[in-house]
Amino acid sequence: MDQDFEKTAEQAAAFQKLWVDSASKIMQAAFTISPNSPPPEIMRQIRAGIFQALANSWEEFMRSPQFLDSMKQWMENAITFRKMTTDFMARVRNEMQAPSREDIDTIMLNIRHLEKRLLDRLDELEAQMSAVKHPATGNGRARPRPKTVAPKGAAKSRRAPVQKP
Amino acid sequence: MNNGFTLTNPWLQWQQTLVDETITNLGKVAHIPTIFRRAQQIRKGVTPSEVVYEEDRLKVRHYLSDQKPKYRTPLVFIYALVNRPYILDLKKGRSVVANFVEKGFDTYLVDWGIPTPADRYLTLDDYINGYMVAVLDYIRKRTGAKTVNVLGYCMGGTMSAMFTSLHQRCVRNLLLLAAPIDFASNDSLLNVWTRPENFDVDKFVDAFGNCPPEFLQAGFLLLRPVGNLLEKPINFYEHMHEEKFIDDFLTTETWLQDNIPVPGEVYRQFVKYLYQQNLLTQARLPVGRHIVNLRNITCPVLNIMAGKDDLVPCGQSAPFNDLVGSKDRKTILLEGSGHIGLAIGGRAQKEVWPQACQWLADRSE
Repeated sequence: MDQDFEKTAEQAAAFQKLWVDSASKIMQAAFTISPNSPPPEIMRQIRAGIFQALANSWEEFMRSPQFLDSMKQWMENAITFRKMTTDFMARVRNEMQAPSREDIDTIMLNIRHLEKRLLDRLDELEAQMSAVKHPATGNGRARPRPKTVAPKGAAKSRRAPVQKP
Repeated sequence: MNNGFTLTNPWLQWQQTLVDETITNLGKVAHIPTIFRRAQQIRKGVTPSEVVYEEDRLKVRHYLSDQKPKYRTPLVFIYALVNRPYILDLKKGRSVVANFVEKGFDTYLVDWGIPTPADRYLTLDDYINGYMVAVLDYIRKRTGAKTVNVLGYCMGGTMSAMFTSLHQRCVRNLLLLAAPIDFASNDSLLNVWTRPENFDVDKFVDAFGNCPPEFLQAGFLLLRPVGNLLEKPINFYEHMHEEKFIDDFLTTETWLQDNIPVPGEVYRQFVKYLYQQNLLTQARLPVGRHIVNLRNITCPVLNIMAGKDDLVPCGQSAPFNDLVGSKDRKTILLEGSGHIGLAIGGRAQKEVWPQACQWLADRSE
């Protein structure tokens, strides 16, 4: 609880600092204008100064740990909410004897796995056929498929494996 | 004497300005209904074209020209999986496609279409070794050319580089336009936001399936919040009575708001392999059963970048020329231009595209 309060206070302080900085930059921009400039031009210069100051401060803020923390929290809330609504809808649809999004996704995934297995098998058969047609290649062993021609849908996996560093 | 007093008295000047501004503002407000009507009539793509190939949601457009193509090697535009491809053919005088068609290139464009939830399991392998292979085979068969020129924009540029690395024999020349290749630096906010400690892409894709367009749009808006949320509307209000400005503004905004979802698995791979692990530059990026090694690219390459690109900073594109195996490498840097300006900006039309057309013409049959 204390930690949460501290975090919120830190975020508020960062936000306050952003606006105090911006206000001081706005004032600087306003006071550097020459009094002989025509009014619309003065306004534009002040405005450009304000925008530049705001843009720099926001850029800085959006790289700060405070912003990144709140972004992460927001994302997690969005994901949780999405999961809750998906689960709820799935339950409602299943109660009504209707297919849910999850059911359709499962079917799609099964089809993808089936497609992958079929394509892999076709590749093997292609290599064997090629070995029969050209027995001289590779001393009768199946000729490997050229690396530059990959069939559509080859080696699909639901989740991309994480590479070890 | 009066004149002198009026000119030097700032309070009178302010009053005069106030009256002038009020009159101008009333005139601007009167324009609003016309602007709404015009926004509904915006054309998407201006160069005449026909669809010559379709597969699933993908369409290949062939651009028509009155003259016979001067070069036998066709040119294929590969667009990103984010947004729609008509930014490359936005309007007369601002069309990248038209530049090449007018110079006599037989030009094609790959429109990936709009993914549905059924496409959530499509991977980079499906796009690169599936769709792109099929499209280039079709174009080669249709034109009788052995090789094809490839121009990739943004994410489409990254995909074109991956494709060329795996299928070099099909590509004669490779042109990249604001293509992210090296994700090591933190110049772009996207790199910071997608770090593994800040963004769990697995959880996200598992929950949402395809990456929602609203999520992408929010991310792009936040790259320049002051510019997009303050400067742009004010600039629009100030110039809304100018015919040319409104025309440019509406066409660009129509495209900017025309977001589409990105297939979930492609999004997962792109974030994990590129933004988080930067595997492309280390020759460790898996695409299906292959590993992409940019050294396998041996054809001439032209790398086009924008100096003030927030989405793909120069630091992400520039290393490409040092990573390929080609000897014929060139870079064009348009200083002061942004990501979209590089394609449709007035300066790009004068300075970049004539140069790029000439570069390609010198290397095409």
